[in-house]
Amino acid sequence: MEHAVLQPNTLAEPLPSGTPGALAGLRVIDMTRSCLQYCGKLFAQLGADVLLVEPVDGCDTRHQGPFLDDVPHAERSLAFGYFNQGKRGIAIDLASTEGRQLLRELARDADLLIESESPGTMTRHGLDHDSLSALNPKLVTVSITPFGQTGPYRDYVAEDIVALALGGLLHMAGDPDAAPVAACGNQAYLAGAQFGAVAAMSALLQVESGGSGQQLDVSIQECVSMALENAAQYVDLEGFVRSRNGSRQRQAGSGLFRCADGMVYLMADGIASTRSWDATVQWLIDEDTPEAQTLRDPVWKLPPFLASDEGKQRFETIFLAFSTRRTKAALYAEGQRRRIPICPLNTTADLQVNRQLGHRGFFQETLHPYTGRRIAVPGAPYLLTETPWRMGQPAPRLGEHTSAVLSELGHDQRVQAVWLRAGVIA
Amino acid sequence: MTAARPLAGLRIADFTWIGAGAFATKIFSDLGADVIKIESRARIDQLRQARPFRDGVPGLNRSGYFADRNSSKRSVTLNLNHPRARELARKLISMSDIVANNFTPGVMEKFGLGYADVVQFKPEIVYLAMSMQGQSGPESRYLGFGLTMGALTGLHNLCGNPDRNPIGTGTNFPDHVPCPTHAAFATLAALRHRRRTGRGQMIDLAQIEPTIALLGPAVLQFTANGQVAQRTGNEREGRAPHGVYPCAGEDRWIAIAASGSAQWQGLLHVFDDDTLAADPRFATDAARWTNREALDQALARLTAHRDGARLMRDLQSAGVPAGMVQHADDLLRHDPQLAHREHWSWLDHPEMGRSVYSALPFRFSASDTAPTSPAPLIGQHTDEVCHDLLGLSSEEIAGLRASGALD
Repeated sequence: MEHAVLQPNTLAEPLPSGTPGALAGLRVIDMTRSCLQYCGKLFAQLGADVLLVEPVDGCDTRHQGPFLDDVPHAERSLAFGYFNQGKRGIAIDLASTEGRQLLRELARDADLLIESESPGTMTRHGLDHDSLSALNPKLVTVSITPFGQTGPYRDYVAEDIVALALGGLLHMAGDPDAAPVAACGNQAYLAGAQFGAVAAMSALLQVESGGSGQQLDVSIQECVSMALENAAQYVDLEGFVRSRNGSRQRQAGSGLFRCADGMVYLMADGIASTRSWDATVQWLIDEDTPEAQTLRDPVWKLPPFLASDEGKQRFETIFLAFSTRRTKAALYAEGQRRRIPICPLNTTADLQVNRQLGHRGFFQETLHPYTGRRIAVPGAPYLLTETPWRMGQPAPRLGEHTSAVLSELGHDQRVQAVWLRAGVIA
Repeated sequence: MTAARPLAGLRIADFTWIGAGAFATKIFSDLGADVIKIESRARIDQLRQARPFRDGVPGLNRSGYFADRNSSKRSVTLNLNHPRARELARKLISMSDIVANNFTPGVMEKFGLGYADVVQFKPEIVYLAMSMQGQSGPESRYLGFGLTMGALTGLHNLCGNPDRNPIGTGTNFPDHVPCPTHAAFATLAALRHRRRTGRGQMIDLAQIEPTIALLGPAVLQFTANGQVAQRTGNEREGRAPHGVYPCAGEDRWIAIAASGSAQWQGLLHVFDDDTLAADPRFATDAARWTNREALDQALARLTAHRDGARLMRDLQSAGVPAGMVQHADDLLRHDPQLAHREHWSWLDHPEMGRSVYSALPFRFSASDTAPTSPAPLIGQHTDEVCHDLLGLSSEEIAGLRASGALD
C-alpha cells in the first residue's frame, strides 16, 4: 500500500462571528465512557456547550488506542481526542461527597445529562434522574447502558463484542465455515451513542416546547438489533433464520470481486429488482468479455438460479476475466457512468484522496491537544446551510477546564486548591 | 406512560424510499410526528418488493423489510410526473415542517420540489436531502446501496479476518444505524433553530459520511500515524481473552471479553480447570495478550461442550463480560431482556396480519414511543389526506384519480 503524503483538503475555517450553532445555548453534561462519548460530540459540534466530566484519574477512553506515534500515554489516545473534540473537560471524584455536590450544582443549570454508569450506580450516588430533577425539573437525562435500566440482564456486563453477540449482528457477519466476526471499531457502543443523541434531542425539543424533563433509557443491545436489516421479519413471516454469508456473493452479480489492484463491490442485482443486471451485462459485452453473451439467457432473471452456487460460480468466472484486468478506480468510474451500483473496496488511505470527499471538504484539520500536532480528522457528517457544523476546540486535557468551570459555579480558587489536594478534583 | 409523544404536532412530507431514508423518518413517526409517505405506483418503493413476504407470497403490501421501516406512517400516492400531483405535493409541503428525500441530486428538482423551489413558498421549511454522496461534486450522481457504501467508506474492508477476504457486517449497515440517526439528529437540531429564530434550512447529508465519521480512530491511525488500518478479526489490541468461542450445538458460539485480574479470576472460577489456572502463559494481562493464540485454543476446548446460554449466565454471575451469539429467532422468541423491554412490537396489518416491528431502542420515562400503527398499504391514506388535510371534495379527488395524478 502506497502511503501518499497527506494533502489536507481544507483547514477548518473559523465561523463568521455571530453565526449561531443550531444548539447554541444548550448545556450538556457528558459523564460517559468509551466511544459513547460520540453522543456528546454530536451536540458539541452543532454548538452546544458540552462539559466532559471525568474521574480524577481520567476516563477509560484515554487508555484506548490507537495512540499518537504509537506511544501509549493518557494524553495521546487518538480515540479520546476524536470522540471529545469540541468539549470542555472537568475531573471530579464522584465517590466523594463534595464531588457529588459539584455534579448536582452542574446539573442544576444543565439541559441534558448523558451518562453510562451501570444501572443503580447513579442512584447510589444520589445522582439519579429523580434526585436531579428535583433540583431542575427541565433536566433531560439520557442513560446509555448495554442492556437498559431494568430487566433480567440489567446487571450484565458487556464489551462491544458482547453487545454485538446478544444484539444479533455478530451472527450475521463472517464466513459460514468459521466463527462469526465482530464489526470493527466498537459499532455497538457507537450505535448506542447515536440513538442516545436522537432520543435526547427529541426530549429536549419537547422541554423547549413547555414539557418536562424525563429520563431516556437506551439499550445498546436494542440499538444493535436495529441493524438486523430484515432478519427478524424473515423469522416472523417466512420462518427462515438468516445466517452469515461471508465474502461469497449474496446472489449472482452481487458481492465482492477481485480487480487488478484490489476489490470492488458490485450490486448488479440491486435490491428486489434486476434493473442494473442488463446494464452490467451490456458493459461486459461492450468490453468483449468472453461468455458475457450467455448472461442474457432468461435463466439469469430467475431468483432461484441467481441464488444458486452454479449461478454465482458462472457469474464470477465471467466477471473476474473482465475485472482483474481493470483497476478499482476504472471500474468505479465506468460502472457508475453506466448507472451500475459498483464501488471500490477502499482503505482508510484511499479515503484521503477520494475526490468527492475532497470536494466536500470532509476531512478537516485539528490540533492534537497534547502535542499541538495538526491532524486531519473526519469532519462534518452533515452540511447545514444556516447553522453550520463546527469542528470545535481540541479535546480537553485532563482537568483542563476544572478551575474555570468551578469558578463559574462561584467556588473561589482557594477552595479549589483544597479540593485538588484532597483528590476531589483534578 | 402519560405525556404526549415527543414529536407530536410535527409533520413530514416524506419522499424517502428504500432503506436509509425510510428508517430516518420512522424515528419521527414512532415518536409521534405525522409522517406522510409520498409514493407512486409508477415508481414503486423497491423495498415493497423485497423479501421477506408474509408466507413467502410476494405483494406490494406484504414485505416485512418495508413494513418495519414504515411503521406509524401514512401513505399517499402521487404520480409526480403529473402536474396536478406536483401541485398537491407543494400544498402538502406548505402544511409540513420537514421535507425528506434520499434521491440522487436532481430528482426533486426535476419535479420542482428542490430546496430552491420549496423555499419560494415555504421559507421556514427544514429540508433533509440524504443522497449517497451529497448535493454537489464530481461523484454526486453516483448511486449505490448500503453494501456498496460499506465498501466505499472503508467499513467493509476493516471487518473480517486478516487472512481472509473482508466480510463487512453481513448487512447494508449504513442504512440501518449511521444514516438514519445522523439524519434525524441534524433534522431535530434544525427544528430547534427554527423554533428559536423562525428560520428553516437545508441539510445536505451524504450517506457515506456518517459511516466514515464512525471509523474516526481507524482514519486517524492513517492521518496521524501513517498506518493503514487492517482487519483484526475478533482480536482487539492489548486484550485477551477477547473473541468468539464455540459452544455445544450446531453453529452456536459465545463472545467472551475478560480484562483485568478480577474478570480473569471470575473466568477461572467458572471453568474450574486446574491446567488453565496454573499455566504461567496466562498469569497476567500482559502474558495473556502475548499468548493469546494459545489462550484462545485453550478456552475453545473448554467452551466447546458447554451450553452457550448456561455458560453466559455463569460467566456473567462471575462478573465476566460474555454473551451468546444470538440469531434473529433467539432475539425474537427467546431473549428475556428484549421481551422485558417490549422491544418487539406486534401490530395487526390489514394484509400481513399480526406481524413484528422493531420499537425504537430506547424508553422514555414519561412518553410512549412504541410504534402506533403498522406500515401503510400503498396509497392507504390518499383519500384521507386529500380530504382532511388538503381540503379536497370527493368529486375533486375522483377527478384527480381519473386523471392519473393519484397513481
